[in-house]
Amino acid sequence: MTKKVVVIGGGVTGAALAYDLALRGLRVTLLERGSIGSGTSGRTHGLLHSGCRYVADVEVARECYSENVVLRRIAPFLFEKNGGIFVAVDESDLEYKDFFLKKCEEAGIPVKEVSREEALKLEPNLNPDLKAAVLVPDGTFDPLKVILSFLASAKQRGADIRPYNEVVGFRVEGGEVKAVKVRDKVSLREYELEADFFVNATGAWAKKVARLAGLDVPVKPSPGVMVALDGRVGFRVFNRLNKPGDGDIIVHHRGTSVIGTTSWVVEDPDKVEAPREHVELLLRRGRELAPVTSKLRVKAVYVSSRPLVGSLPAGTGREVSRSFAIIDHSREGAGNMASVIGGKFTTARLMAEKTGDFVAERLGVSTPSRTAETPLAPYWAYFT
Amino acid sequence: MRYRLVVRRYKQGWREAEYRAYEVDVDPDTSVLDALEKVSLEQDPTLTFEHACHHGVCGACGMVINGVERLACVTRIGEVARGGVVVVEPLRGFRVVSDLAVDKSRMFSQYALVEPGTLERVDGVVELEKLFDCVECGVCYSACPIANTFPEYLGPSVIALAYRSSKDGKVPAVLDSRRGVWACHAAFECSVRCPVGFKPGETIMKVRRGFLSGKLGVR
Ligand SMILES: Cc1cc2nc3c(=O)[nH]c(=O)nc-3n(C[C@H](O)[C@H](O)[C@H](O)COP(=O)(O)OP(=O)(O)OC[C@H]3O[C@@H](n4cnc5c(N)ncnc54)[C@H](O)[C@@H]3O)c2cc1C
Ligand code: SF4
Ligand code: FES
Repeated sequence: MTKKVVVIGGGVTGAALAYDLALRGLRVTLLERGSIGSGTSGRTHGLLHSGCRYVADVEVARECYSENVVLRRIAPFLFEKNGGIFVAVDESDLEYKDFFLKKCEEAGIPVKEVSREEALKLEPNLNPDLKAAVLVPDGTFDPLKVILSFLASAKQRGADIRPYNEVVGFRVEGGEVKAVKVRDKVSLREYELEADFFVNATGAWAKKVARLAGLDVPVKPSPGVMVALDGRVGFRVFNRLNKPGDGDIIVHHRGTSVIGTTSWVVEDPDKVEAPREHVELLLRRGRELAPVTSKLRVKAVYVSSRPLVGSLPAGTGREVSRSFAIIDHSREGAGNMASVIGGKFTTARLMAEKTGDFVAERLGVSTPSRTAETPLAPYWAYFT
Repeated sequence: MRYRLVVRRYKQGWREAEYRAYEVDVDPDTSVLDALEKVSLEQDPTLTFEHACHHGVCGACGMVINGVERLACVTRIGEVARGGVVVVEPLRGFRVVSDLAVDKSRMFSQYALVEPGTLERVDGVVELEKLFDCVECGVCYSACPIANTFPEYLGPSVIALAYRSSKDGKVPAVLDSRRGVWACHAAFECSVRCPVGFKPGETIMKVRRGFLSGKLGVR
């Protein structure tokens, strides 16, 4: 009998996981309370990280870079081949440069320093007073299309994808989750869905969802504001050559430039608004990188919440990577449920692979993950 | 400011759609999308609509707002409200899935006609391998009188994209048919409503001229 898995959450993590599990031959149903990508995943900068932003932690940087390469291999059509550029604008940036270059080398990320003249020739809208510039293998993407590609690929392997289906409760009996209770907003009914295993991939909502089953997930929603400008000021991703901070990136895709981002912590991801002073800060910092941004119209201000991993109580978490965690709920009385939180959009495939390993082991399925080698279906196949 | 959002609701199994009004307190520069999301989070969790990027690049949130097709995420409520009222309806020309969410298969299922890795050179400097301008929102189908009444019509964006991915002066044969450029009545509503100025209508005319002059062939 083919084992059944319910994945809760239709962000990039849930989508990549549904695909990973379906590719292993499991019967997957994915439940998303809104439309696909309507949580955090749709609302990002759309930056395919090269890892350079995280070089202070070489492990994390290496993980980002290798996923960057894998994603471009399995779905080249989803990512702009634009690359990124780190620029030093002031003395403190310049002091960071040697450390940055050394760490990029340690992490195995191919970067190249270019002269001020060359940088300005490639990207005329950069601050003309820049003091140093380094080209890096960043990229940009339309988040929704990446998620749809994962889901199209999952569907082709038999997965059942159900947007507008919200988990509103769990039936837990004898130390096992028997079923989830679902509110179907398409036909206004409630139903129960049974399965052999349940994965909570609801990101910043993971605590709220786990609580419905009487479980705990140590996640803190950490919102960030982004300001979208009408017009594209550059082709590459602009990064400030310094430790990650507020307003230090401008990400270009399609005809838009996005200045990001800020960071704070809230209790409820459903009650988040962009503070006005964050918008002003972003616009000011954006001007430091590219003065021309002050001339562009603000097209939209948007905000979404990172699933920040809190401290894991001993023995409950499986820290499979420094950047994300799989929480095993067996010790809390739910032997067949796990939560997966953290990571980046860029590393979702890897998170899904590790979570898939965990689920497969629990269900006694020996098929390994094949998502790193198998080409993704195009996003438009989701609709056919 | 207090606004009244009047939303067209439809659920599977209903005999007909109904309109429901919600009051929301938001700033005039709040997007219609954020106002809708607020309603769904605070008043009515069954209200459904499609959204992802919230900044006008993914094309998910196309809707008819006070009678006009727009991307809800880049439409400020204060700029479109009439007497504080905003009527929000799903895009026309597509099957309604639930409330404001529509099924865009009719557009995406034609993508076999479009080169997947549309490789573009912008300013001769950088290569972009995806759809650079069209955000694939379906607004042009909703605005087009033909697409609204003739389900087999390929549709403005798909024709324009298929033309752009033409090779050696040849486009897919179906463009030169009743389902293709010859269906168009030159209303140009697609170009008027397109949120990014992609001008599919002008491209359709160009393809017609290409066929008539023999400069454009089919494959
Ligand atoms: C401001 C900001 C910018 C970022 N920029 C980038 C970037 O440029 N590049 C990058 O790689 N990473 C970026 N990230 C990180 C990245 O966006 C996140 O790590 C990632 O999107 C998380 O995905 P997820 O699928 O885990 O969560 P989500 O996308 O939030 O998915 C969880 C889903 O669960 C759904 N859900 C909630 N409750 C229920 C329920 N009861 N029933 C069913 N479904 C439910 C939600 O609607 C949601 O869609 C950014 C993060 C932030 C905050
Ligand atoms: S051509 Fe314009 S209106 Fe039509 S799908 Fe593309 S962006 Fe939308
Ligand atoms: S939500 Fe992406 S275009 Fe509006």
